[in-house]
Amino acid sequence: MNKIKSFFSSFFKKDETKTVVTSLWCALLGLVLGFVILLCINTKEAADGMATILGNFFVFQNADDRWNYFGQTLAKTAPLIAMSVSVLVCYKAGLFNLGASGQYSIAVLVITFMGVAANWPWWLVMIGAMVAGALWSMISGVLKAFFNVNEVISGIMLNWIALYLVNGILTANSAIWDSSHSEAYKITDGSNALIPSVGLDRLFAGNSIVGLGMILILVVTIVIFVLFKKTTIGYELKATGFNPDAADYAGMNKVKNILVATAISGALAGLAASLQVQNGFTSWRLSSTIPSIGFQGISAAFLGGLHPIGVLFSSYFIEHISEGGSMITDLGFAPEVAGIITSAIIYLAGFVAFLKEMIRKSEVKDELRRLSRDKAVKK
Amino acid sequence: MIVVLSTISFLVAYACILTITALGGMFSEKSGTIALSLEGCMTVGALCAGIAMHLLPASLPNGLSVLIVLLAALIGGGLYSLLLAVASITFKADQTLAGTALNILSTALAVTLIKQVTKTDALPAGQSRLNFTRFYEMFNFDLFGIQGVKFNWLIFIVLALIPIIYVVIYKTQYGLRLSSCGENPSSAASLGINVGKTRYIGILISGVLAGFGGLLLVTMNAEWEFANGANGFGFLALAVLIFGQWKPLSIFLGAFLFSGFKTLSVVYPSIDFLANLGISSYFYLALPYVVCLVVLVFTSKRNAGPKDLGRAYDKGKR
Repeated sequence: MNKIKSFFSSFFKKDETKTVVTSLWCALLGLVLGFVILLCINTKEAADGMATILGNFFVFQNADDRWNYFGQTLAKTAPLIAMSVSVLVCYKAGLFNLGASGQYSIAVLVITFMGVAANWPWWLVMIGAMVAGALWSMISGVLKAFFNVNEVISGIMLNWIALYLVNGILTANSAIWDSSHSEAYKITDGSNALIPSVGLDRLFAGNSIVGLGMILILVVTIVIFVLFKKTTIGYELKATGFNPDAADYAGMNKVKNILVATAISGALAGLAASLQVQNGFTSWRLSSTIPSIGFQGISAAFLGGLHPIGVLFSSYFIEHISEGGSMITDLGFAPEVAGIITSAIIYLAGFVAFLKEMIRKSEVKDELRRLSRDKAVKK
Repeated sequence: MIVVLSTISFLVAYACILTITALGGMFSEKSGTIALSLEGCMTVGALCAGIAMHLLPASLPNGLSVLIVLLAALIGGGLYSLLLAVASITFKADQTLAGTALNILSTALAVTLIKQVTKTDALPAGQSRLNFTRFYEMFNFDLFGIQGVKFNWLIFIVLALIPIIYVVIYKTQYGLRLSSCGENPSSAASLGINVGKTRYIGILISGVLAGFGGLLLVTMNAEWEFANGANGFGFLALAVLIFGQWKPLSIFLGAFLFSGFKTLSVVYPSIDFLANLGISSYFYLALPYVVCLVVLVFTSKRNAGPKDLGRAYDKGKR
């Protein structure tokens, strides 16, 4: 009995457990806020609306439909995981990757040319996207390393530049621009650039957008996990993130670490674009706002406790409620309610450090009380 | 003639939007908090003004309507900025994270609420675009009586506020205390200044001024697409703030540089020589941000920003 008790008490004292508990609280508070907003908009339909957001594919009666939409949610989670790992890599190295959306946009541009126009094999297009994302991201890195430009500001500016660049180049090429739908042509079935489905589609009622991408992103996430846990590069990146001056003093090259971190995270943002576009489900749409996936990546990264494994779950959660959110238009709600929930979660994620500190303090207090009581008993 | 005058009108209006928002950001940053949420505060200011303009009955006298809309924008921006203050001061959250969250939240909130108020039987889902021609006529007048050249009244308020803000920052007790909290909060606290309270007020002022900027931005137009938020003006204002090295007068001058390129993206089709070049409109849209990046390269080396910018004040720390 005591063994179980001590196991539980040590389990709850673990830092990871605290992160999970506080993240769950954030998610819950975000959902409560979303529900309050639904209540304010329409009291009668609010419960149904919330059930739809949380239910997502469960709202379908037909089992095949459920599997189909579950597959769709999973397939759309893959790029989000890549995006949040991108944010995470930078954050570990002490940088904030607000420019992920821009890196994603540039990668979509490259994919559209290499995949739709030139019909290259999928893996080559994927590599191209990753290189493009990395190079775009390294603009921020170079500016940071050599000119001391704040990477947050340069990232924001590069987001807008990328947006207009991609809009401008794609709309000017009638061969790849479908002006009747104001979007680029999608990668069609049977194209070389399509990521193969490797039979996974049969698991999800023939939903062909599920495929090798999902396995790839799991592998990449584990590689990043190992990178930070076991390798010298990962250790140097983390050290630079903790204290750049100390890392520099210890002989770690600050400039190199900034460039490596921005390159890796840019490549991951490029991978996100590849996983999003190369299943033939979406393409670049003409837009006057920055793609939101970069910001969703930030929320997933923080909700996942900035841990590669945690990010897998938080990305799925965010994609799940976003997909659910797109279904509530039938009830007369704006799908942006899901956006309110996710952004509220990022806001609340900022409190995680504070909450963890509070938990730690209360534990110390408990410990002191126990010690003084034990003393009194002994006397 | 009309082209020249309307170009000047755009130039001044954009410069004033950037100036007032950047000056707001200055209050926040001088007290030690990164003003990343300027874009969000502008959006919410614009949102509150938009809702007020949509709901106010036409029977109300024009002066009163304008006043209510103005107050809605200021209060909206101010209250929204308090969310940043609570996160970054009371809960010592990462300021970049909180600011980013508020920027995304503002657009989601704006679209949801505008869709809610524009709901009609014919349009059950509502729309995120709001038309307010009636107020456009109230906020703008024909410059020199020439038809087609509009000038916003609010610009005069901005021009009047610039010297006032200059005096507040450099000549009043409050302004000097504000700067001390951003430079060295521990010494400020040792002299009996309440660092938390001063920072709260700094952020509140930044939100109110950004809300004003948002109002000026939307009332330059007869309609506004709220899905675009504040169209990136908040971020440009942040760049203006850095370019102006956190000094009010430099900010005002710097705003004209960015405003110039922003104006170019609006007026180039009506300038024959530029229209004939056949360059994509997206090039002109991207230009202000490219200029911004280049300018940052030259200004970031010597960092003249507040020394304690971005750090939460911790009493226990030395």
